[in-house]
Amino acid sequence: MSGNHTENGAIIHVKDLVAKYGDTTVLDHVTFDVARGNIFVILGASGCGKTTLLKHMTGLIPAASGVIEYGGKNIAGMDEEELALMQRGIGIAFQSSGLFNSMTVGENVALPLVEYGEVDPRLIDSIVRLKLSLVGLANAQHKMPGELSGGMRKRAGLARAIALDPPIVFFDEPSAGLDPIMASGLDELVLNLKALLGITFVIVTHELDSIRKVADQVLMLDKGVVIFTGTVEEAENSEHDRVRQFFERRPDEFMTQRNI
Amino acid sequence: MTETRIQCPRELNQETGRQLFDDVHAKKISGSLVLDLSGTESLDSLGAAWLVALADLARARNAGFECEGQQGQVADYIGLIGPGLNSEAEPPAESPGVLEQVGDTSLSIVGEVKEFYHFLVDAVYWTALAPLEGRGFRWNSFIDEINEMGARALRITFLMNFLLGLIIAMLSAVQLEQFGASIYVADLVMIAFARELAAIMTAVVVSARTGAAIAAELATMKVQEEIDALKGMGLNVSQFLVAPKVLALALVLPILTGLGMIAGVLGGSVWGLVVLGFQSDVWLNQTMMAADMGDIFQGLFKAVIFAIIIALVGCHNGLRVTGGARGVGLMTTRAVVMDIFFIVFVDMIFAAIFYYVL
Repeated sequence: MSGNHTENGAIIHVKDLVAKYGDTTVLDHVTFDVARGNIFVILGASGCGKTTLLKHMTGLIPAASGVIEYGGKNIAGMDEEELALMQRGIGIAFQSSGLFNSMTVGENVALPLVEYGEVDPRLIDSIVRLKLSLVGLANAQHKMPGELSGGMRKRAGLARAIALDPPIVFFDEPSAGLDPIMASGLDELVLNLKALLGITFVIVTHELDSIRKVADQVLMLDKGVVIFTGTVEEAENSEHDRVRQFFERRPDEFMTQRNI
Repeated sequence: MTETRIQCPRELNQETGRQLFDDVHAKKISGSLVLDLSGTESLDSLGAAWLVALADLARARNAGFECEGQQGQVADYIGLIGPGLNSEAEPPAESPGVLEQVGDTSLSIVGEVKEFYHFLVDAVYWTALAPLEGRGFRWNSFIDEINEMGARALRITFLMNFLLGLIIAMLSAVQLEQFGASIYVADLVMIAFARELAAIMTAVVVSARTGAAIAAELATMKVQEEIDALKGMGLNVSQFLVAPKVLALALVLPILTGLGMIAGVLGGSVWGLVVLGFQSDVWLNQTMMAADMGDIFQGLFKAVIFAIIIALVGCHNGLRVTGGARGVGLMTTRAVVMDIFFIVFVDMIFAAIFYYVL
């Protein structure tokens, strides 16, 4: 195991996180640090707890036990107001975009700006267009989410997530359901946003190409347990069988047997 | 060609951006607006948003807009937001004129009637004819629906009819007492509930309960592509979803209505016995004399028609949903409003038929 980042470079610190749905343990003593300004990729097979981990990190689901710290503050100890304040500092782009269907794309992006009321009202329209052109949707401002394709919706969701210039952005399955051109465009965008705005990204994905392109740190989950943390190169050269299997795209045995 | 050249500050952020914007706003721009970014070392996204605002301002005054001299990170950023700077904001769609709106509305009504006609034919076939031809009827979901629409609605429909019975007895007692004819409250409640009130009250409660549920269920299934999945497997939506609901409700609503008649008469009796002080056998006798099988069948027959209306209107609206969560809400509301309208409208037609013809 490697990739242990120093405490002071970590923007998010997770220690011994346990998550349960009923009696089923979904995350079992998960511990890791996310370094500031990095692209942190959580990967693993379907159903291994990736999205659950993301929802815990963003405070959407309370943990059964364990510590999740932002800048040294544990979110388990926060009251509702403090949690809301913490959540303002992060952007979340959901797997199915989470756009409000009753508003135009532009209104969706403007929503956090208008609600928090901290920016000059004259500027809101410009910010909306800026964010939309960042994700390549300059012409979609007055469209309804229902009129967009899946990939466009995903990008609009990202535009809304970065509307308030959060230092941390969580991105659930950015390339799921996108064509390769769109997916690699999204990778470029993530790299650009990291370079230009210094945004820390926490991305859940299982697209190998995307991981190789963007990841600074990789964390791999298997059945709720962390089986690897480190860089992509380290992951590709790992001795761990499950990690190797993932990067070599080898199917599980029960699946190959069935095909015979 | 003339140009207005503006030197940008070293750091372009929310504050310096606003100053820059206000400066330019106060100036007269001739020819084109050129921003000199050679001295700008850092640019954050609010600063960049002010650049977009400046580009808009220039366009609004029919002037050109250009950024010059940007270097390093600033140049990268400007490159990334280029489309936002150079393209005009797409104007929101114009709202159509009155004539256009009238046309749109008429076309959509015609379209909906057509759609309903096709749906109706399909639903009637799969509900009434296909089971007779042995083409399969989903008994399991039929039984489920009977439980959901009937057994679980029993308490609320019974209670509503009982309370309405009380109210009718109270209202009529005040009038009839003046003529010393209080005993006829029993007749009035019996006849009113048999012919009219039980059917209407039960149908309204069931449309709010079951009609809304049907519309919301089918609308959610449509939004989540479950309907498409059914069609994609070559299965018929009417057979699978509509027929069990229509048949179950057509069976259950008359039963609920019959129980509603009993509940209403019971409600009236409570008033008659407790407040008006009649002997129970006198009241019972009077009620039984007023009870007429023709009236009761009239009420039950109407209940069957109401059931078919509620189920079909609910399914029709649910399957027409577009958009997401909001669409589901709109269609559910629409289903209940249409249900109640059609129930009252059809009841009026029945009243006219019974008055003039029978």
